[in-house]
Parts: sequence; structure tokens; C-alpha cells
Amino acid sequence: MNKTLLAGLILTFLIIAASLLGRFAAPHDLSEHLGVDYSVDENGEGTLTVPPSPPTADYPFGTDKYGYDLMAKMLAGSKYTIIGAIAVAFGRLFIGGIIGLLLGYYGSDKPSRMGRLPIWNVLSGFPVFVIVWMIMIGITMNPAASPLLMTVILVVVLTLVGLPSVASVIKEKTMIIREKQFVLSAKSIGAGQWTIVRTHVFPHLKESFAVMFVQEIVLTLALFGQMAIFNIFVGGTKMFFDPAEYNSRTNEWSGLIGQARDQLFYYQWLLFIPLAAYILFILGFHLISVGLEKQYRQRFSKVSHL
Amino acid sequence: MSKVAQFTLIVPGILMFVLVFAMFPAVLQAGQADGALQLHFANGFTSLREYVQGLWNGHSFHYLSGKTELSFWEQIGRSFTVTLSYMAVGGFVGMTAGVLLGVRTAVARKPWLKRTLELTSVLPDFVIVILLQFLIVYIASETGLVVFKVASPSTDDPAIALPLLSTIIIPANYMIRNVALHMNQTLTEDYISFAKARGLGKTYIIFYHALPNVLPYVKADLHKFLGILFGNLFIFEYLYNLNGVGMMLFSNAFAFNGYQYGFVVNGILTLLVLYALMYALLRTVIFGWEKVIVR
Repeated sequence: MNKTLLAGLILTFLIIAASLLGRFAAPHDLSEHLGVDYSVDENGEGTLTVPPSPPTADYPFGTDKYGYDLMAKMLAGSKYTIIGAIAVAFGRLFIGGIIGLLLGYYGSDKPSRMGRLPIWNVLSGFPVFVIVWMIMIGITMNPAASPLLMTVILVVVLTLVGLPSVASVIKEKTMIIREKQFVLSAKSIGAGQWTIVRTHVFPHLKESFAVMFVQEIVLTLALFGQMAIFNIFVGGTKMFFDPAEYNSRTNEWSGLIGQARDQLFYYQWLLFIPLAAYILFILGFHLISVGLEKQYRQRFSKVSHL
Repeated sequence: MSKVAQFTLIVPGILMFVLVFAMFPAVLQAGQADGALQLHFANGFTSLREYVQGLWNGHSFHYLSGKTELSFWEQIGRSFTVTLSYMAVGGFVGMTAGVLLGVRTAVARKPWLKRTLELTSVLPDFVIVILLQFLIVYIASETGLVVFKVASPSTDDPAIALPLLSTIIIPANYMIRNVALHMNQTLTEDYISFAKARGLGKTYIIFYHALPNVLPYVKADLHKFLGILFGNLFIFEYLYNLNGVGMMLFSNAFAFNGYQYGFVVNGILTLLVLYALMYALLRTVIFGWEKVIVR
């Protein structure tokens, strides 16, 4: 195991463990909040505490303007970020992988007339988050559905928009493998087509699947963030009117970033602590994907005979 | 199918796609009681019919911004200019710098350089924008010196340097990695070692032997490059508060009377016009290079 992979695994493991187990060690939870308080000490000097409180010993990540502990919010939201991103990546690879394997095995290697139209090039350049925005914007503001249901809807939508790219990559890789001699020999001893795909083609793609899985997690996290910039949060958006204010219902990390987008000048911790956690999380998965690629290159590359 | 037939099919095809695509928010709605998803196809077709009818009497080119009714033609000009100018500079400089730095990276053989580039490319565009903005705020709070404007306070006083910087670096990063990859492959070819054996200089080989064989990849990847440029456009217009087409589309798609189908269709068509213009511009740039480099 190389250093990059190890670093990535440790970082990701630490973040996931901290966010799933952290609520047992966290000083506050979402049921309590910091109120306005004025206390006078023995010297007669008064201290006024008003939320939002900057990071202090009592509130390590500070509080938001309603007095809720940011750490408690992030712990509550982390499961949506982590499980959501992994679910999207898994869905894309599972469904897209099957489609790609079948298309690659049965499909013809010459692109059809439809496939050569330049319109597909233009569409592949179409930003994904605009498509997701169009689908989600009508249903995400103050929805009647539960946060869990809204998360599931977003996960399904993100999975569907990601399918074509995953399927086409797997298709191309499958096409290369189906020309190999072992596939021909399996065919000649009478192996069924599904058996060939399952036991001869798929094992050769396991490494690609592993790397793509991690990369899809990174892409999904990026999409979560982009949607959050446009006030579409995982689990739905709570919108207040007069003045318009958007809040994440689940406290999912990218949602915390999105709703604190205006805190660039004041109360900066509200923006930067979730942003730092989010960047670290992406970084962890990125290191894993680079490390895996390096690992596989070392394992499968041919060595010099001299 | 001949080229002409293909071309004549593409325009209605794209139009159909836009018309259907813009229906999404009208068709897909959440139930009031339980939040279950409901499909109202009738709504979609009603808005399409109203749009087509409105084309004749000009009603499709009016939209509501909040409660104010505005004319699409009067408003779009300024947004279009704003977006086009940022994109043209971003695309042109991004591609030029991307190709040149890509060549540099391919020749440099510094693994840390490649790793840093990969790392910045994995960060989503909005993170880079927020980090750049924070850097400015940090410098300002430490030294009292405001280097650049963090966002546009008003349309008459737009932020220029920071938006341009982010329109350049994000597509340029993609270009650098792409060019460096193909450049590395090209430099292993036999004709390169032949040119080297003939005693030609390094710069000469790179620009007259290797780069001409990398440019076709750049050309083929142009749609992807433009996709990144356009995806980036929405984010940076929104974060820098620039009054461009993307911002106009996002902020007015829903107005006082609900979803504005006609306005969204017009907006997306404007973006497609922008796309065509940018594509033509970048193809011209590549054509120019080919004239200079390939003898």
C-alpha cells in the first residue's frame, strides 16, 4: 500500500468515524441553544453573550445566529453528506456499470449515425447542475415531504444524470476486453454470454470500478456543493420570506456552506468550518483515487526484462 | 445523410430539446399535502402553447422580474455583453495560457507540479471562487489594502479582476492537464527522436513537430472545454454578483406569478447563441495557431 492511498484512507476514515461517532462526545446537541445572556463577575464587569458566538472552548466551532452549536449541526448533517454521496456513486456505478457491460459486450464498435451527430458533443458539455437545478427547483423550496424523502429524490436524480458518462466509459473498456483471446476461448468451449460477462470481463474491470467509484463520490460532492450555492440543499430548503433566507433542513455540509455564503466578512467561521470539512472530505477521496491508480499501475505494469 | 441534411436537422433538434427541457419545473411538482411527486404534463403543454402563441403577439418576450414587467429584448443586451466579454477573455486567455503552460508542464518533468494541478482540479469551482474571495478579505483585514473587489456592489461598478481570474484559471487548469497528457504521449513518437537526431533544437521540435500533433486533440476537446467554461459561468456570475445571462436566468426563472416558461426558453436560447459565438471564436484562435505553427 503506497503512502498516498494510506493517507487518503486514514483521512477519510477519520472524518467518517468522527462524524458518525462524534455525537457521543460532542459538548452540545441540536436541542439546546445559546441564548442572550448578561453576567456580572465579582469585579463588577459585565459580559454580554449574544449568538452567533465565535469558536470558544465551550463551542469549539462557534454557533450560528440562532445560537445552535455549529459542531452539533455538522454532526447531524454529516450522515446526509457521507451516505448521500456514497449512495449516488454506488447507484451510478451499479446501474451504469451493468448498462455499460451489456452495451460494450453486445454493441457494435462503430458509432451509429445518431452517435456521430455533433449534438451529442454539445450535450455532453452541458453543465450537469443546470439539469439538476431545473428538475429540483420546483420541488425543493419548503417541501411537504420529509428530509429523508427529499434526499432520496435528489440521490435518484443525481444518479440518473450521471449514468450516461459512467456507462459510456465502462462500454469502451468492455469493448477492448471482449477482443481478448480468453474471451474467444471461453466462447469456443461453450460458455454462455452472461457467464463471459460475469466471470471474464467484469473481473478485469474491478480496478476501474474501484477507481471510478471514488471519483464519482468526489464528483457527487462537488455537485452537492454547486446545488447548495443555488440554494438547493440535500434534504430540502427551508425558505423564509421578508427577508428571503434559505436554510438547510438537514444541516448537510454543503448546505451549511450554501446558507453561510454571505458570511464572507462577518461571522466567517460559519462559512469556513463547514468549507474546511468539505474540502478535507473531497481531499481524502481524491487521495484514495490517486493512490488506487498508483497501486494498480505498480501491480499490473510490465517490468523490464534486463 | 448528407452534411447539409444533418445540419438542418440539428437546429430543430436543439430547439425541441430546449423547449422540452424548460418544461421540467412546470411538469414536475410536489403534492401540497404529502409532498409526493406529481407529473402535470398538461401544465407543460399549456406553457408551450402559450409560448408559441406569444411569439406572434410579442407576449413571449415580456417577463416579470419580481412584480415588474420587463421586455426581454431591452434587458438581454446588457447581460449578453457582460457575459460575452467575460467569457471571451476567459476562454481566449484560458486556452492560450492552458496550451502554453501545458507544454511547459509536459517538458518540466516535475511530479509535484502535476500533483498540485490535479489537486486544484479536483476542488469544485465554487470552492476556488470562495477561497479567492476569502484571500482578498484576509489581505484586506490584515493590511487594510483591498486588492480587488470581492463582488460587484452594483451593475455600474462591476468587479473585474477576480471574476476574470476565476474564468481563466478553472478552464486553463483543464487545458493544461489535457495538453500535458497528449504532449507527453506525442513526445514518445519516433518522429520526435528523428528530429532530435537531426540536431534540431528543443523549442523548435516542441513547437513545430509536437504541438501541431497535439492541436487536433485540443480541437476535439473544445466542447468539453466550453462545457467547463459555461458551467463555471453560472457559478461565478452568481458568486460575484455579475449581471450576466446566467444570473438573469436563475434569478428571474421564478417570479411573482410562478415559473416563467417563456423567459427560461429565451434565456437558454441566448446561452446557445453565446455557445456558438464562443465556439467560433476558439476555433478561429486554433486556426490562427495552425497557420503560424504548422508550415
